Amino acid sequence: MRVRRPTVIVLSALLAATLGTVTAPTAAAGQPGSATTAAEPNEVTNLTVTQADGYATLAWTPVEGATDYQIERTPVDANDVPTGPSVVVGVWRPNRQINNESPTFADAGFNPGDRFQWRVRARFGTVEQPYSAPVTGTTRQPWGDPAVPGQNLRTRWETTRAVQYTSDVDEYAYTAEIDRLSDRVRVVEIGRTVLGRPINMFVFGYPTPPATPEAVAATSPVAINCNVHGNEPGDREACLIMARQLAFSTDPRIIDILSHTTVLIVPTVNGDGRAANTRGNSTGQDLNRDYSLIRQPETAAFVRMVRDYRPIASYDGHEYGNSRAGDLPMLPPRHQNVAQSVFDQSQDMIEGYMYARAAEDGWWPCPYGCEGGGNVGLGEETILRNTLGLKNVVNSLLELRSSGGQTRPDESNTANNRRRKTYSALWTFHHLLDYHRARYDEIRRARAEAITFQASNSGRIVFRGSRPIPAHPAPHPADAVPPLDAPRPEMILDDAPCAYRLTPEQYLGARTDGPGGVGASLAERIAAHGWKVVKAADGYYVPLAQPERGLIPLLLDAQGAEEWVGGERVYPTLTGRHNGPLTVSGFTCIADGTINGPVTVRPGATLIAYRTTVNGPVTATGAAGVVLGDSTVRGPLQVANGAGPLSLVGNTVSGPVNLVGNTGTDAPLVAGNTVHGPLHCTGNRVTPTAIEVPNAVTGPRAGQCAAL
Amino acid sequence: MFAPSPASADPAAPPGRRTRPAPTPPHPRRVRRPGRLGLLAATLVLAGVAAGCTGDGSADPHEPGRTGGPAAAATGGVSGPLCAALPAGTDPGNPDSLVDEPADQAMRWIPVLTTFEAAVRAAGLSAQLRDPRGVTVLAPTDDAFARKFSASNLDELMIHDRDTLRTLLRAHLVAGSHSLADLLAAGTVTTMDGTRLTVTPTESMARLGDTATTICADYRVAGGRIHLIDAVLGTLPTTAGLDDDPAH
Repeated sequence: MRVRRPTVIVLSALLAATLGTVTAPTAAAGQPGSATTAAEPNEVTNLTVTQADGYATLAWTPVEGATDYQIERTPVDANDVPTGPSVVVGVWRPNRQINNESPTFADAGFNPGDRFQWRVRARFGTVEQPYSAPVTGTTRQPWGDPAVPGQNLRTRWETTRAVQYTSDVDEYAYTAEIDRLSDRVRVVEIGRTVLGRPINMFVFGYPTPPATPEAVAATSPVAINCNVHGNEPGDREACLIMARQLAFSTDPRIIDILSHTTVLIVPTVNGDGRAANTRGNSTGQDLNRDYSLIRQPETAAFVRMVRDYRPIASYDGHEYGNSRAGDLPMLPPRHQNVAQSVFDQSQDMIEGYMYARAAEDGWWPCPYGCEGGGNVGLGEETILRNTLGLKNVVNSLLELRSSGGQTRPDESNTANNRRRKTYSALWTFHHLLDYHRARYDEIRRARAEAITFQASNSGRIVFRGSRPIPAHPAPHPADAVPPLDAPRPEMILDDAPCAYRLTPEQYLGARTDGPGGVGASLAERIAAHGWKVVKAADGYYVPLAQPERGLIPLLLDAQGAEEWVGGERVYPTLTGRHNGPLTVSGFTCIADGTINGPVTVRPGATLIAYRTTVNGPVTATGAAGVVLGDSTVRGPLQVANGAGPLSLVGNTVSGPVNLVGNTGTDAPLVAGNTVHGPLHCTGNRVTPTAIEVPNAVTGPRAGQCAAL
Repeated sequence: MFAPSPASADPAAPPGRRTRPAPTPPHPRRVRRPGRLGLLAATLVLAGVAAGCTGDGSADPHEPGRTGGPAAAATGGVSGPLCAALPAGTDPGNPDSLVDEPADQAMRWIPVLTTFEAAVRAAGLSAQLRDPRGVTVLAPTDDAFARKFSASNLDELMIHDRDTLRTLLRAHLVAGSHSLADLLAAGTVTTMDGTRLTVTPTESMARLGDTATTICADYRVAGGRIHLIDAVLGTLPTTAGLDDDPAH
């Protein structure tokens, strides 16, 4: 596992003491407030307070021997005269951050714009030490200049001081106004809820967002899903505020992000549940148990969006009630069928990046399911975190701890609790954008590696079961981790098939597992996921040697934990050495083969090959389907006039590649290949795509493949 | 400025149980099907902040939370240990701002009642909360609901078993407008599900039967009172913690 850990900077008490004689006034604009006075023994020194959107970061020099620290906040007027009681609003503990030698605490849960005084004191066990000198500061107003159109929009949650959430009607009006006033955003309706509510998505780019989903996909976008459980609304409010910032901010950082990629925000995928304040949608279905099955229109809309817009990094927003955990529990896609590179990169995003940035700003991320979290954070592929991982998206769950817990003792006040949750989500989502910007090439490489790995159809299949989340020595945000969740033996299939064969009834038949007993056919759902399917004389073949290989068996194998159907496992028809020409008629699947001779695919025939070497040309004319993964062709490769799917992922071809006149209705997939020779595509009904996994081509690229 | 009610459309409510909108201004009652972008027409007024606004919330003089007179600073007559954690003074949703709101609308401004408020809508009981003869609401907080029902049980009641939900909610409604003092003086109270509860004083609050205690009492609303209580009444079994936390 690759986890970066920042350099720890230890401020010695001695150094602190030498600095402790200057009395600093309150904050000048743009400067953190600070206080340094002659310190009593064990008094916290060098307290600074830095304002940000919805929170203030306190930082101080640690006291030798302190077990924890208390953060006190007092409302004050413009003359710093207290206007209310002093309250301990926070308790800092060493497991908050990876570099606990440099303590920070994000104080949140106040009305933005109010002015406060802060003090911090150490405790030795329960013995309180002297408070630091106070620091006063005015917190930031809700984002946006009230005099600037667009910036002056506010959500209902903001105007009511977090007493009310932004309703559906409020959201649509706010969204429409952002759309009207900003060239940087396009709002698209990605679908409708069961009850007909629009599911909108903000598409942000600078100076304007790319015009089509395909053009957006070419920018390797970043996506945020804000509200899947209707009764967990905190992240959604952050998304709505963030939408205003992305649309109207003049901050060079925002302009830079939007100049380099596209930001996708789905504020409310579960609009019916939000309006009714239920966890599930209007049928009672928990949508975060449906992203693989896509029985519901809401999840189907989201999955189609992922297929079309192809985000490479994402967060999925939630709230949860374990009061002992951190502010911001996070978790990567753990399902064992997720490619290692996507798991590692997701862990890097969480532990390598978020933990480090949080330690600077005072937030407390931790692994979801830690510290008495129960049997949660597991491997269900129905959960978006895992579904997206199986779609090769680097991503994380985000939870907002819904109760204040022991470390935020002032949050019996509901509005303050809501503000802390929402502004901590806003912090996280902004850092997702920063991570995506900073590690853009790395994330793309991890995704490319995952896609080529999946297309090689390598290794066992795990129907359900998770990778472990490694624990760090305490005290550390990840000193407690979620349950191991190793796959049980009956959830493992060591011998992966080549494909699943579905009968016409299975593939096209009406289903009863959707709202009102009506469900989309598997043909529609498979299309929503974006899988290649070969229509053959004896049924519909879904090859595993394609990018979502980790997800396909979970839905099409009778051994799956929550499958659609028990499709027939189709095993390779040819492995090992074959000397001489090979003519494919009917269905041929080659795994780990070596073909010493030319391969000819006859009209109406299907060739699937992975981890195979062909010493000779491959020629397919009028084939029902050609799927090659992780294979080598020492000779020309020509696929012409095929009516079915064409997928070439992670192959090496010595010789020209020609894709000509194929009439399949989905885009031929040409991704991650090395071609020693020219790549030429012409006359195909749909332009081939590389899904942002570049090909290495030594010869000229021409025609429809000029950009691949 | 936004309308004072969130006006969250509730197409799931049974036909005929839809409640009248609050008197002013009119609220959209159902999700409209807008044009290709899925956006409502710009007939809705946006929450723009006027130039020079100090950012202290809404500037709508009709909006709860913006009462102009000196009375706005008063405590609003509520009492109990939870009141300090709720909107007060001139905050949106302060008790004084709710006195002209019917109970179903007033509950939308009391931020610990999101579960009860949504349940009332789901059960189609909003009209009952506007009974011209007055009504008293014994409203369990969100924490009380979380201690009583598992998430899945609550969804089941809200979505699939609304008859049971209605009965449950009626165990929290009392005909007529009764202050905390009235309840204590009477010594008993009969809820709309026919249950008679004893009312006993406890630390200037009221204990209802042996189940619940008022924790912020005497919200005055149009035609009634709302008393926040710390436990769910009625006869349904406790399911919180029984099933696995479904989590994320």
